[in-house]
Amino acid sequence: MKITHLALALGLAFAATEARAEKLVIKGSDTLGAKLVPQLAEQFKAQHPGTTFDIAAEGSTTGIAAIIDGTAQIGMSSRRAKSSEVGAASAKGVHMKPTIVAYDGIAVIVNSANPIKSLTKKQVEQIFAGDITDWSAVGGSGGKISVYTRNTSSGTYSDFKELAMKKRDYASGSQKMAGNEQIAAEVGKNSNGVGYVGLAYTKAGGIRVVSIDGVLPSVQTVHAKTYPYARPTFYYTNGDPTGLAKQFLDFTISAAGQKIAAQVGFVPIP
Amino acid sequence: MLFKKFVLIAVATGLMIGVTARAQDAGALLDLLVKKRLITDQEAEEVRSELTKDAAATSAGKLKLSAPITEVELYGDMRVRYETREGATASTVPGTPGPNDTLKRSRERYRFRLGLRGTLADDWFFGLRLETSTNPRSTNVTFGDDAGPFGKASDAIGIGQAYLGYSGFRDIRLTAGKMPNPLVTTLMVWDGDINPEGLAEQWKHSYNFSFGGGTTPAAESSSKDGKNVAAVESEPFKVKLDLFMNLAQFVYDDSNPENPLGVRAVSGGRLVPNSDAWLLAWQMGARLNLPKNVYFQVAPVLYNYTGAGDTFNNFFVGGQQGITNTASMALNQVGINSLLVLEVPAEFGFKIGELPVRIFGDFAVNFDGGDRAIAAGHPEAQDQRYAYQIGAGIGQLKVKHDWQLQAFWQHTEQYALDPNLVDSDFFDSRVNVQGVVVQGGYALSDAIIFNLSYGYGRRADRSLGTGGVGDIGINPLDKYQIFQADLNVKF
Repeated sequence: MKITHLALALGLAFAATEARAEKLVIKGSDTLGAKLVPQLAEQFKAQHPGTTFDIAAEGSTTGIAAIIDGTAQIGMSSRRAKSSEVGAASAKGVHMKPTIVAYDGIAVIVNSANPIKSLTKKQVEQIFAGDITDWSAVGGSGGKISVYTRNTSSGTYSDFKELAMKKRDYASGSQKMAGNEQIAAEVGKNSNGVGYVGLAYTKAGGIRVVSIDGVLPSVQTVHAKTYPYARPTFYYTNGDPTGLAKQFLDFTISAAGQKIAAQVGFVPIP
Repeated sequence: MLFKKFVLIAVATGLMIGVTARAQDAGALLDLLVKKRLITDQEAEEVRSELTKDAAATSAGKLKLSAPITEVELYGDMRVRYETREGATASTVPGTPGPNDTLKRSRERYRFRLGLRGTLADDWFFGLRLETSTNPRSTNVTFGDDAGPFGKASDAIGIGQAYLGYSGFRDIRLTAGKMPNPLVTTLMVWDGDINPEGLAEQWKHSYNFSFGGGTTPAAESSSKDGKNVAAVESEPFKVKLDLFMNLAQFVYDDSNPENPLGVRAVSGGRLVPNSDAWLLAWQMGARLNLPKNVYFQVAPVLYNYTGAGDTFNNFFVGGQQGITNTASMALNQVGINSLLVLEVPAEFGFKIGELPVRIFGDFAVNFDGGDRAIAAGHPEAQDQRYAYQIGAGIGQLKVKHDWQLQAFWQHTEQYALDPNLVDSDFFDSRVNVQGVVVQGGYALSDAIIFNLSYGYGRRADRSLGTGGVGDIGINPLDKYQIFQADLNVKF
């Protein structure tokens, strides 16, 4: 009888250990996954000992694809799922459910040595589309503009095309970077560089955020939607999240999670 | 809370009805509702996601267009036709079985055209049309005319139109490629199936004028008994004047090669040409739109030709009276030498009740017609340089039960026009023919049109051939008639 109780107790303890060691797989956006989600994960782990995370921040497209393929419980995305992605998900019986986890403003950055402090929306479109190739055309001191963009799997890449470029193609000579930090680093090194990053990446050295039509990205202008390149960021799940994914999502949008989002540089949910 | 739920359900339900079209409009509406604080961003995202999902499941949702396309239109038509045409030889043709011998050709035919045209970002546009038949002046395919029964050799699809253009300059439209004819013209000069290749520059500007009208002040009006009467309002006389200009540079025939190895070859005592043949056109026109749907349009156009390409290095003869039919047809029918043609198409339109009526005409003169006659060996026929058409039509074919009648008379002299361009039905791609055409149509539905056409022509100058290559292998073509019954589907 005692042996039976012991075996039962051991079994329960093993099961509990297994539950505590549950792994959450999160894939997708570099904007969310490079800074915010790892910090949220650390805090979450402190409250849920034994929980492990597998975070891959390789672009929003990979996050949405991971939900469709069932290879992640949460897909991070800085853009909305495209109709083709939603259609592909439906065909597999996957229901793409978006949850807003924070807001962001895509900041246009130049090298801190560049005298340009403000651009119009039209100028931004022309610069990134390659119509304007020299800083002198927008009131700068001259020099061939070096355009840095994200790669095609990035949600920021798509969002910027839609928000800032009337869906036009980027300039053929633009250089595609893997993440926000790489863009900030390149612009910081290149006095003729221009690029865009999420708000959380604007504190990098050697860069300056330019205002767009006189508006700088900030908590206030993003909330008020007066900044033209403001956008929500998402967790995508297959239907309503359950289990650990739901706990982590709930934590992300809780007051504690939003405080972390604000500390990282995102705009919290109002 | 209840109100908010009601708003969400109403929005979602409203947008779900006609999902495809409304999914595109949903963004603005949802943004407005968020702005008005009727729903939250999260609720808007959930509705947006549902709409996207439903839209993706529709037929239209599965169609993907590249981002630079701002508008696209799929269009086309299909036609089945019964046609019979008949030509008669002259009474003096040597070698024919007898005078006034006839050649008759009856056939059942179809045609299919499928087009895609649209606009692109930054004021660019494009067009592509696939057509049956490789004939530049026809899109018809004759049933049973290839190996088989029911062969497919002649049922091939060709590129009828492939063009792109720019309309970013005010009032100006620039086009390059194989395009719909940009010129205002008639069947007398241009077959409607021809899609010329090259460049076109078009300009159009409208001027609006208003005469008189306004209100007569009450104080200045009085009745017979001396009392003041109410102010009288009268409509101003409004006139709209459209001025337009069409310039075209069409590649008529490509020369290959431009620079051959060795010494240039000689053919018929003349150097084989080494430059492309171009057809150049300059058109200026005006359309005066008066009140009550009355209008008048005139659009003179001057044509000139340069170069000879690979194919047009021989002088036009156009057949010959008094020799065998075979010998006459072997004489050059396609030369484009000595063509400096002025065409003046004009049209006057008005309405009788709800019925549109139009009176139309065309006049053409070849200023180099004398040289063309001399080169053809007929210096006595240098006056054979004119062509004209006059006709009238009533009705229209836009919606179900619409009907239309049209008739015209046409006279084309042997050295007046380019026989490679004239209409291939009326009158068998020939010049030196005159005759009448009568056409009637009825709309069985908005998309189905039934047409009957009849044409009868005779040789205009009995001492000359009837230049051009048509379906009736007779030259001179002394008499000609054609009957067509068409059932058209347009989409």
